[in-house]
Amino acid sequence: MKQHPLCTDTEQDLDVRTLPIPEELKQEWAALQTRRHFLGRAGKVMGWAAMASLTGDHALTSVAHATTTSSQPKVITPEQFKLPNFAPKAKRAIYLFMSGGPPQMDMLDYKPKLAAMYNQDMPDSVRGAQQLTGMSSGQARFPIAPSHWAFKQHGKSGTWVSDLLPYTSKMIDQLTIIKTTNTDAINHEPAIMLMNTGNMNSGKPCMGAWLSYGLGSMNNNLPTFMVLQSKLNPIENNQPVSSRLWSSGFLSSEYAGVGLRSAGDPVLFLSDPAGVNRDVRRKMLDAVHQINQQTYAELGDPETNSRISQYEMAYRMQTSVPELTDLSKEPKSTWDLYGSEAKVPGTFAYNCLMARRMAERGVRFTQVYKRGWDVHGNVPKLLPILCQETDRACYALITDLQQRGLLDDTLVIWAGEFGRTVYSQGGLSETDYGRDHHPRCFTTWMAGGGVKPGISYGETDDYSYNVVKDPVPVRDFNATVLHCLGIDHNKLTFQSQGLDQKLTGTTPAYVVQGLLA
Amino acid sequence: MALLFSMALLLLPHIFKLDGKPHADWQQFLGRFHPLIIHLPIGFILLVPLLEVGGRWKPSLRESASLVLALGFISSLGAMTLGYLLAYGSGDSGAGVTRHMWGGIALTIGVLLCLLVRPLWASGAVPRLYPVLLGCVLLVLSWAAHQGGSLTHGSNYLTESMPPLLKRWTGLGSSPAKAPISGSFYAQHINPIFDSDCVVCHGENKVKGGLRLDSYEYLMEGGKDGKVIAAGAPDKSLLLIRVTLPKDHKQFMPSEGKPPLKPEQIEWIRAWVQQGASSTATSLSGITINEHKDVPLPPVGDYSALMPEIAAMGSGTGAKLVQVSNKASDGLILRTVDVGKNFGDAQLAQFAKFAPYIVEVELARTGVTDAGFDTLSKFTHLRVLHLEDTAVTGNSLTKLIPLSQLTYLNLSGTKVTKAALAPLEAIKGLHSIYLYDTPAQHAPIADTAPPTERKTL
Repeated sequence: MKQHPLCTDTEQDLDVRTLPIPEELKQEWAALQTRRHFLGRAGKVMGWAAMASLTGDHALTSVAHATTTSSQPKVITPEQFKLPNFAPKAKRAIYLFMSGGPPQMDMLDYKPKLAAMYNQDMPDSVRGAQQLTGMSSGQARFPIAPSHWAFKQHGKSGTWVSDLLPYTSKMIDQLTIIKTTNTDAINHEPAIMLMNTGNMNSGKPCMGAWLSYGLGSMNNNLPTFMVLQSKLNPIENNQPVSSRLWSSGFLSSEYAGVGLRSAGDPVLFLSDPAGVNRDVRRKMLDAVHQINQQTYAELGDPETNSRISQYEMAYRMQTSVPELTDLSKEPKSTWDLYGSEAKVPGTFAYNCLMARRMAERGVRFTQVYKRGWDVHGNVPKLLPILCQETDRACYALITDLQQRGLLDDTLVIWAGEFGRTVYSQGGLSETDYGRDHHPRCFTTWMAGGGVKPGISYGETDDYSYNVVKDPVPVRDFNATVLHCLGIDHNKLTFQSQGLDQKLTGTTPAYVVQGLLA
Repeated sequence: MALLFSMALLLLPHIFKLDGKPHADWQQFLGRFHPLIIHLPIGFILLVPLLEVGGRWKPSLRESASLVLALGFISSLGAMTLGYLLAYGSGDSGAGVTRHMWGGIALTIGVLLCLLVRPLWASGAVPRLYPVLLGCVLLVLSWAAHQGGSLTHGSNYLTESMPPLLKRWTGLGSSPAKAPISGSFYAQHINPIFDSDCVVCHGENKVKGGLRLDSYEYLMEGGKDGKVIAAGAPDKSLLLIRVTLPKDHKQFMPSEGKPPLKPEQIEWIRAWVQQGASSTATSLSGITINEHKDVPLPPVGDYSALMPEIAAMGSGTGAKLVQVSNKASDGLILRTVDVGKNFGDAQLAQFAKFAPYIVEVELARTGVTDAGFDTLSKFTHLRVLHLEDTAVTGNSLTKLIPLSQLTYLNLSGTKVTKAALAPLEAIKGLHSIYLYDTPAQHAPIADTAPPTERKTL
């Protein structure tokens, strides 16, 4: 490009980091630096240079020098957000995620009238304009499949619970059951993204990331947000889950969930290799730290800081994780409660026990994933297995938290990404039926700090297909969770793509008052 | 001629009465240009005195004054007509609308009179009348415009953000919060919904559809379409029907893009109607609104002087003091999870100076022993105390008795016995004592405790 006669390019880069602007802006700028921005900016450099020469060499450089000395990396702490917005009922949360979509009418959404409608076609008026998945849209008819299991009333609340859930029945008065949770998506990936991040598209931070960003850590030695995968049962229909679900999206990556593996070392490469002791490790980290600091000073990319803090966290986790996962000191009563399968790393029961141990150790948000709920076929065979794997563990976790006095300030959430259809997918017989995805209503529950125990919220129709009363869309569900943790969901925001992004999205969301204690 | 015209204007409201019923849509369509056009006559009319006064020094200015006055008259007439169409077409009525209407009519007539007497004044025949009349027109203009502004923005629009000092001097804007009529459910929960979301259009100043919602009597009276509340029959109550229509329905209320009522508010109204729409009932079955949520806990004192120290702890690796919420008066939590066994009685004693500001103490799995209770007894605002898996024996629990705000005490995994717990009966609000894995666990004090909601595990 021909140089403009007025341009006396001094080959001195104009550096945003040296401009007299607030540190936050610089950080945002650095975070947004992509190739596209770089190329776009390259064109503007000429203009900048010309302006610099017009205003005189002095004007820009003198102010720039004034600020360079004070450009220490700045960590944003919760105090700066002014969170929690109000005194919270729950300090921490444990989210038991039933990936795949549990069939609500076989578990907690009792529909007694279905029995008489066995193998009848579901009326079109009930289905309305509901889109079908590709898996059942070709079906000639939609025969009603009543639940295979009997329901009984339990607890003081007299809540109807399926015989599949003997343990859940015992704690039913502790639960806040939401029968009218509903979602906008009908397929796994968008639905599970919506449930976790408030948006069907990837790239948004999940609930755990928002919480770590907003509330910060309660301890120095373990991550704020941990994710536990449960071992797969190969006979179940296991939909994949991916790290998108616990990603920090546009937030700094230090807020992303840290996963513990379900087998082998809980955290890979956490132990020092043979011949490296902790002092050597410390020295190495200090050296890396220095280099990273230089990188930060050069590039100003906040991700460098995240990396530094992650190295430090990993170093501390070298001692804290072995302590966390050492179950040898758990008393016998623990195993009586959770069952002996809780001794096997990676089982859902083990993960529930770990969730309790993390709660004790100041982990803010623990998410336990249990896959396999995608029961398109053979519900009578698969569902008992799934319930057997989870029922007792859920009961054990709630009971354990309660007896230890932790349920008062811990919110436990049990949810999948959607529900399942009342009509059978594929053939229907006395001993076999399948259930397809269903977004319009599904049952979830919460327990503990902030929610009202012993209630069932919302009503669905006789087919468990439509919401009749008190719908709870995902955004309201998430707004309510944040409320229990002391957060006004409208105030926990982050500017990205020109929008004050938030977990509950742009459609107005409301805290569901009827769920609150 | 002018007289006849004025008479016609004055009679207009009596011919087409503002009856609170909406009329043709085209009337509303045109009428909604009223707030736009209205600024034209205001501009013209305000210009007239400027031109007349300026004319004393620059006579050419006065030459244009009569033209501007004429324009002012024509535009006032137009704006007034649009305004009338707006009120008549959309079914507005009410004191504010009526005042604004008469203001507009008086103004139009006033401008017409000015236009008529100005030639007499210019020729010197009647020297006084025109300036006086013009002054009156300006006063009427200000008053009518203020009434119009109050209709669109609310009558406290100007005074709302007035500095308190100015408010006190002028005696304006000090509208005292309406005292609740009584402790009834209507007064506490139903009326406030209407107050915040409905009375802008259904209140004293604007009475759309002839419906007022600013008092129980008006609410039950209903509007032009009849009663809006059918006691005991929520599904037949027009008000509930209108607020629960699909949001894009033409008759949905609140209309015109105002935020819809919240689901729980609709729930309250529904339950209230279902159970008789009483003005006196104090509670409804099936509806519990958590008042206690809003009852603030006793605030802790001002600890801002200690903030630097608290902040320094925050970035360290030791015990920390963290704020319960962004409201400093919610108090502080003492958090020791990172210190563990290294946090003992001596470390706890160092927090004595923060004692009155700490509402929660997390001492689980620390090295604190019975000696620590001496420090704890100074934490006068303490509500939650965690002592799980510590070496405390319970012999010093009596030292907690002065802590009258204590509600939660966790002694799980300690050696506390049932006998040691007995003195805690003195703390009335202490409703949660956790004794998991203690000698006391299997001998719950609930046997001896009064039948409060005390739970022991």
